[in-house]
Amino acid sequence: MLERPDGPDLLATAREVLLKELLPALPPERAFAARMVANAMAIAAREAQADLSALAPRDLAVLARAIREGRHDPGTPTHDAVRAWLGDYARLRASVSAPKALG
Amino acid sequence: MDEAALTRLRDWLAAAQGDPSLRSANARKLSGGAIQQNWALDVETIGGPQRWVLRTDSAAVLAVSLPRTAEYALLRAAWAAGVTVPEPLYLCADARVIGAPFFVMRRVEGTALGPRVVKDSALGGGREQLAQALGRELACIHRIRPPRADLGFLGDPPADAGRAAISTLRGRLDDAGTPRPVIEWGLRAAERRAPPPVPPVLVHNDFRTGNLMLDASGVTGVLDWEFAAWGDGHADLGWLCAKCWRFGNVAQEAGGLGPRAALYEGYAAESGAPVEDARVRWWELMAHLRWAVIAADQAQRHLSGEERSLELALTGHIVPELEWEILAMADAP
Repeated sequence: MLERPDGPDLLATAREVLLKELLPALPPERAFAARMVANAMAIAAREAQADLSALAPRDLAVLARAIREGRHDPGTPTHDAVRAWLGDYARLRASVSAPKALG
Repeated sequence: MDEAALTRLRDWLAAAQGDPSLRSANARKLSGGAIQQNWALDVETIGGPQRWVLRTDSAAVLAVSLPRTAEYALLRAAWAAGVTVPEPLYLCADARVIGAPFFVMRRVEGTALGPRVVKDSALGGGREQLAQALGRELACIHRIRPPRADLGFLGDPPADAGRAAISTLRGRLDDAGTPRPVIEWGLRAAERRAPPPVPPVLVHNDFRTGNLMLDASGVTGVLDWEFAAWGDGHADLGWLCAKCWRFGNVAQEAGGLGPRAALYEGYAAESGAPVEDARVRWWELMAHLRWAVIAADQAQRHLSGEERSLELALTGHIVPELEWEILAMADAP
């Protein structure tokens, strides 16, 4: 086994230090960069914990082409299943990149 | 700019102004975008102190943005059409002066910063009044119509601006090479319900919170004209109203700044024709798709090593939330 605390724990702990101890001590013009660093650390921590197995794998290039050609339009037999998969796919990605957007 | 460039700039400005006594008191770089640089110039002239902004290109230039010379021509056209823009003063197409072409415009006061302006409900005389003023600005911009010899660099207007926009975004996805099925889903939905074309007008194409200089009395400057093109004026209303450009203040549908109805009122009063709401909504879907494609391209600049940057890297992580919104918008009838 690798030593603990693991990556997400370290990122979360380091992020606390950044936001609570370092950010208040920074000149205002550096605050934006510090907040970006904090955001990047949060995304990396969530990515490490994301459960990719919850999403059935699909060939994205094939799917993208078929959508563009209208083969999953409303009224086609595959429409509902593709829409549901895209919802899961977008939700998983947003849960890592921007979970607040999911409400 | 180094000392030698500043000296050449002073000489050039003195000649342009016809004032040999012109003296540069201060030149400082303003927080600029990835595409262009802005410098605040404080200049002493025979007629008194002047506060100007010099605008020039950064090293990394987006291929889709217009060069400074074109942006200067757009500013002049907008100024003449009564749009509230910083007064354009001088254009220097000669790259030898400071290393790249530049233009000089009068500096306008106010604040544009998105997260700040959406929180200030007193800005621009209050939210209703501000949204109406934004509508009037857009109507003034849309009175600029082709053909215009001075704007010849814009090329011929597209026969159908909506379908042309879909085709452009698909091309950019293909060029990027990363399959994006959710964006494809949104583009296909937009294609199925594309409204019929309307006569082309000048579209600013980045008229949104963050590019609008505001103060207590109203709009002090519509900035960043580098994406302007002939097209459907509703695209500008849709870009401004798109939820992704409200900076968190989603209840104020006109850019987080004011009510949508007031925006439409101001637009209709100035243009003499009512706003087609359904068409604006269609362009709001297109706004999310366009921003998603731009964000993905910006992240690619980081990933490719062309410009390693935390800001560009994080911009890529905006794509999933845009996709989440795109799915909801594509479902709407």
